[in-house]
Amino acid sequence: MRKLIFITVLFLANNCFSQNKQILYNFTSVPQSLMTNPGADFKYNWYAGVPLLSGISANVGSSGFSAYDLFADNGVDFNVKLRNAVFSTTRKDKVAINEQIEIFNGGFKIAGEQNDSYISFGMYQEFDMLSYVPKDIAILALDGNRNYLGKVFNLGDLSAKAEMLSVFHLGFHKNITEKFIVGVRGKIYSGIYNANSTNNSGYIYTISSETGVYEQMIYSQLQLNTSGIAQYDDQDYEPNVAKDITKRALLGGNLGLGFDAGFTYYPKKNIQVTASIIDVGFIKHSKEVESLTFKGTYKYEGVIPNFSSGNSAGGGYQEFKEAIPLDTLYADYTTWRPAKFNTSVQYSFDEERPEDCNCLNYDPETTYKSAVGAQLFVMSTPRTPLVAFTTYYRRKIFKALQMKATYTLDSYSYKNIGLGLSSHFGPVNFYVLADNLLEYSDVTKANSLSFQLGLNVIFKNTKK
Amino acid sequence: MKISAFYKVFSPFIVLLLFFSCASDLDYDQANDIKLEPVFIANLAYFDVPAHEFVTGGVEQNVIFDAPTVDVFNDSFFRKSLKKVEFFLEMENTITRAYVLDIVFLDRDNQVVHNTNFTVPAYLGTENKVTRTEIFENTQLALLKRTVRIAFTLKMLPGAPLTEYSSGNLKLRSGVTAYIVVE
Repeated sequence: MRKLIFITVLFLANNCFSQNKQILYNFTSVPQSLMTNPGADFKYNWYAGVPLLSGISANVGSSGFSAYDLFADNGVDFNVKLRNAVFSTTRKDKVAINEQIEIFNGGFKIAGEQNDSYISFGMYQEFDMLSYVPKDIAILALDGNRNYLGKVFNLGDLSAKAEMLSVFHLGFHKNITEKFIVGVRGKIYSGIYNANSTNNSGYIYTISSETGVYEQMIYSQLQLNTSGIAQYDDQDYEPNVAKDITKRALLGGNLGLGFDAGFTYYPKKNIQVTASIIDVGFIKHSKEVESLTFKGTYKYEGVIPNFSSGNSAGGGYQEFKEAIPLDTLYADYTTWRPAKFNTSVQYSFDEERPEDCNCLNYDPETTYKSAVGAQLFVMSTPRTPLVAFTTYYRRKIFKALQMKATYTLDSYSYKNIGLGLSSHFGPVNFYVLADNLLEYSDVTKANSLSFQLGLNVIFKNTKK
Repeated sequence: MKISAFYKVFSPFIVLLLFFSCASDLDYDQANDIKLEPVFIANLAYFDVPAHEFVTGGVEQNVIFDAPTVDVFNDSFFRKSLKKVEFFLEMENTITRAYVLDIVFLDRDNQVVHNTNFTVPAYLGTENKVTRTEIFENTQLALLKRTVRIAFTLKMLPGAPLTEYSSGNLKLRSGVTAYIVVE
């Protein structure tokens, strides 16, 4: 049972903390691939996702340690496991959760005289959490500073953000020529809540001194911005979380704007090049904002009696609170969505010549059974951008079933094998995509797993 | 009909995944066993008194005194999690007179919770240091946590007279090692 719950949680997954949807990208048998490239070569008369079931994805990931490392029921003291986990990580390691559910999603074709245009639209809800391992602060909490004389503890290791939002989107793509498809998508973000502490800096050090025994300095520039959370702190407030979330999800939250753009180009009939940029946008937080700051410099010298004047120093704790005060601010702030860039090159082969070949219609998916390709994914993060490289093999197994197998290299794993299947039975499209398949031998030891599934109804151009 | 085809296609995939997947037993309740035991070092007290401070208007001051406040124990979390304290004290004298230092820890009612004193001999041209280590645990530590002030009294012992131009210093350096346990 536990296994089942665990798998279910991990299965509700997609795009991991990297938010890389390497299986979905350019897998144009699935309408949701339009969300990773608004210029994807996806043709339809109309389609509609089954509400709430068209796109379910979630991911739990941790680059430094796995659930097994911390919570294995193996008789080892938890504190030993915690130490091992902390000391095996670096400040670059991160823990992240991402979850998306499509509330509704659909699209239709606008027939043109020469080339058709396509409209797609929808709304989805997203939860995003990303935290770097605050290694130096964890060392201070575990060990203190006694064994670290001379070490400068970096307070900038503290970098975390979490947010929930809903996204309304409207996309448009058009075949400019037979070989060239471009698309754009506008997005309105409605922030449900946000907590963001990513621009921190500062240090703490203790070194030997000739004056006192030690010289100790704290320089702190820490700030946590929140929106949509402050009111729950208020004791007089009767929380009605469901109502608050619904209201904010439906454009009653902190609003933002963004766009996606992309293209697909066929330099030759069997060669395809694509690229997209996703979530270039921001949210302006002005409702229910509250920020906490912890900024200042403090040098601790200890108790210093002053025998000549009697004007002695000694109120260290009070001095500290005055030097580095905990302040609450109520100023607006802006957060940027993590922007994602995808690009791919694909070579198709194994030409298919069915008897009812519609060879005039330029559609590589019906004329080639197989394709190999490579993809590159880059995402902005609070620190260095995340990069992943994928190679893939795509195959039409039979008329109703398409398969895409991927091998992905990124900073979390060099053995990430993924598989996606998409079926079309009549107009009903069902897809399931999963990566890190090798980790399923023991899911608790996995550093990341992602899974996506969904159900759509698609009406395509049937041959007339 | 369609449903069966659907199962035909996807059930092998899902069954394979479930069949080959496995999950070790995890015990999340372990997190309740968390116990942090950091050890922190910091300055305790410091002074550096030049020889001429013991002379005012040509007259020797044999006793000088100050009692600064100490507020670290105001914080209840710190009070609760502090399990052991070590003091390291070092007096260095480069004045040609001997001294006695009395350090008295006082609570809010001016009651003595701890006191220590040491004598440092007169400077004779060679290194002249006296050090001491003190350890507080259990009852002694409980008393120490009531400290709100530390009174420092420096007594100059008889010897060759000092003037306002006498050289040398009397220095105290001291550090504390605090053993914290958070459960």
